[in-house]
Amino acid sequence: MNESVEEILKPVREDPSYLNLWSAYKRIQGLDLPDTDDKDALRLAVIGSSTLEPLAACLDIKLRLEGFTPTTFVGGFNTYRQESMDTNSPLHKAEPDVIILAVDAWSVLDQMFLSTFARTSEKDRQDLQKQLVKDVASVAQILEKKTSALILLNNFILPVFSPLGIVDNKQKTGLKRFFEGANNQLAETFSDSNRVFVVDLDSVAGEFGKSRITNWNTWYRGSVPFSEEFTPFLADAYLRYVRALKAKTKKCIVLDLDNTLWGGIIGEDGIEGIKLGNAAPGIEYVDFQRSLLSLYNRGVILAVCSKNNYDDAVKVFQEHPFQILKEEHFAAMRINWQNKATNIAELAKEINIGLDSIVFFDDNPVERSIVSQAHPEVLVVDLPKNPRLYRETLESLDVFDVLSLTKEDMARGEMYAGKRKRAELETSMDSIEDFLRTLEMKVRIKPVDDFDTPRVVQLIGKTNQFNLTTRRYTDAEVQKFREEDNSIVYSMAVTDKFGDEGVVGVAIVKKKDNDWWIDSMLMSCRVIGRSVETALLAKIVKDAKTDGASRIIGEYIPTKKNPPAAQVYENHGFGMPAQADENGSTWILNLETDTIDVPEWIELTED
Amino acid sequence: MTDFEDKLLDILSKVLLLEKDKITDDLRRKDFEPWDSMNHLIIVSEIENEFEIFFEDEEVVDMWTVGDIKNVLGSKFSS
Repeated sequence: MNESVEEILKPVREDPSYLNLWSAYKRIQGLDLPDTDDKDALRLAVIGSSTLEPLAACLDIKLRLEGFTPTTFVGGFNTYRQESMDTNSPLHKAEPDVIILAVDAWSVLDQMFLSTFARTSEKDRQDLQKQLVKDVASVAQILEKKTSALILLNNFILPVFSPLGIVDNKQKTGLKRFFEGANNQLAETFSDSNRVFVVDLDSVAGEFGKSRITNWNTWYRGSVPFSEEFTPFLADAYLRYVRALKAKTKKCIVLDLDNTLWGGIIGEDGIEGIKLGNAAPGIEYVDFQRSLLSLYNRGVILAVCSKNNYDDAVKVFQEHPFQILKEEHFAAMRINWQNKATNIAELAKEINIGLDSIVFFDDNPVERSIVSQAHPEVLVVDLPKNPRLYRETLESLDVFDVLSLTKEDMARGEMYAGKRKRAELETSMDSIEDFLRTLEMKVRIKPVDDFDTPRVVQLIGKTNQFNLTTRRYTDAEVQKFREEDNSIVYSMAVTDKFGDEGVVGVAIVKKKDNDWWIDSMLMSCRVIGRSVETALLAKIVKDAKTDGASRIIGEYIPTKKNPPAAQVYENHGFGMPAQADENGSTWILNLETDTIDVPEWIELTED
Repeated sequence: MTDFEDKLLDILSKVLLLEKDKITDDLRRKDFEPWDSMNHLIIVSEIENEFEIFFEDEEVVDMWTVGDIKNVLGSKFSS
């Protein structure tokens, strides 16, 4: 990072007050830094109906504190509509990656809206509500169409005051329900959009305290919508989206055990002595574990790093009646007397994630400081001494956000736990075939349906290792292959006794003359070494024979990362003709003489 | 320097990006480009928050120099 920038940020790191944030923003703007194109660069635009420079300033500096390099554009006062529609406007010229659209409902509604609300008919209220949503949503839709930015649209703050007083909710569309309904409509309008995200400003304001979100002095003097205290707080809400967009979110929580997952020390207090129960003492630990489990169930990986005797600790997982998290919830465990910094490095390697995606929970400040010194990229949580605050600490971290959740993402925890158990089983088996046989694998291979297509596109886009041709196709191209008569897109889902991996394999076949060409064949690294690629090839062979094809032709195009797939065709009896060079090789299976069978340890379904 | 003056200079220094010892009573809004209307707004609200007072609209408009700010602020505490 630019040294002078780091110097400017120093006082903000010590005290992130509004004044310090503003001062740093002004200083950095004065540096007139050149545009950068590195991966942490981010072009930000903040537009809306009021004076938004302070909000933009706080967000700009907070982004810098997290290592991003923002270039920040602030729209003119209440000119967001024109700026959005005119593709020659400064907003469009700034080519933003992220646009914050902050429109105050009161700037759109008639000036007499509140005064006349009590006497406004139900029908008029509903019409006004629809109009409000349309006015604001239409701007976001224009931006969605005319830019490539991620659009963060504020919803409306439900007012605290209603002229109808305590009977506000006795009316079908009372004042609060007017805004609540508008917010529901906004959320619904964009629920399917992968570019427009409705930011729950109402809820952020409620969390902060609605009576303190506006400084009426600056509001009336300069139309600054948010107070000095609330503005930095609100900036944090937008940061969550940027982290998710830039894949800077955390994926894995590494947990200590004694005095973290339960009260007391298992090695000294014993299983009856530790604090863990559905009532005091120990209910706060159960609650903390329940919250961890809620994150696990949406795809956050859990792991254990504890100084303990392995058998003592595991006994709690297996036998304690109130223990919520079981062995199966942990992708990996390090229960030993080794240095925790070393253990965490090993965990990261075993789970195959970066240290920068790890969050570490430990009640012991000494362990925390050892880990944060050895691995500054790990988020070491400053856990309060009071265990009743553990849960709140976890729930206010806000570092696990993703912009979309696939079924496979949600089940990530099970997959890692399954991987750990498979590895244990594999080392205990004499031969690989014995191991595969005990897995009880079920493989479903079929032309991909609408439901699995997003996952197939995701795999085509990101699979590097077991990928024979590494051809990347867009959603539209995959749809085209699905529709055309002379091509088939296969999806392969794998389940075994340790868990459901979901869709992990893809093959794209193109028919030419009497040949079936395997244009693409790829598999998630999660299932490498389980012979499921044989099942996929066997299915293609079977369908090709039914279709009357005489040969199957496969290509291998080498890349830096795909040596794990180099032997696939050779191992399955394909013969290589003369042409083979550094650009790849072509392999042929003659269907009149050769075939490929599904391995006996795999049960194939073809619905 | 009084604690009171130091707090004021701290605000002015951070917003106007000037060292404290460069901020004189005759520093004038019109003659100093960084002291634009947005920064003026921030200076005023930071003073209000720091000293738990509030300014009338006329007082805000009439703050032309650092000396003016000190005078208005002084009048708030003497009354």
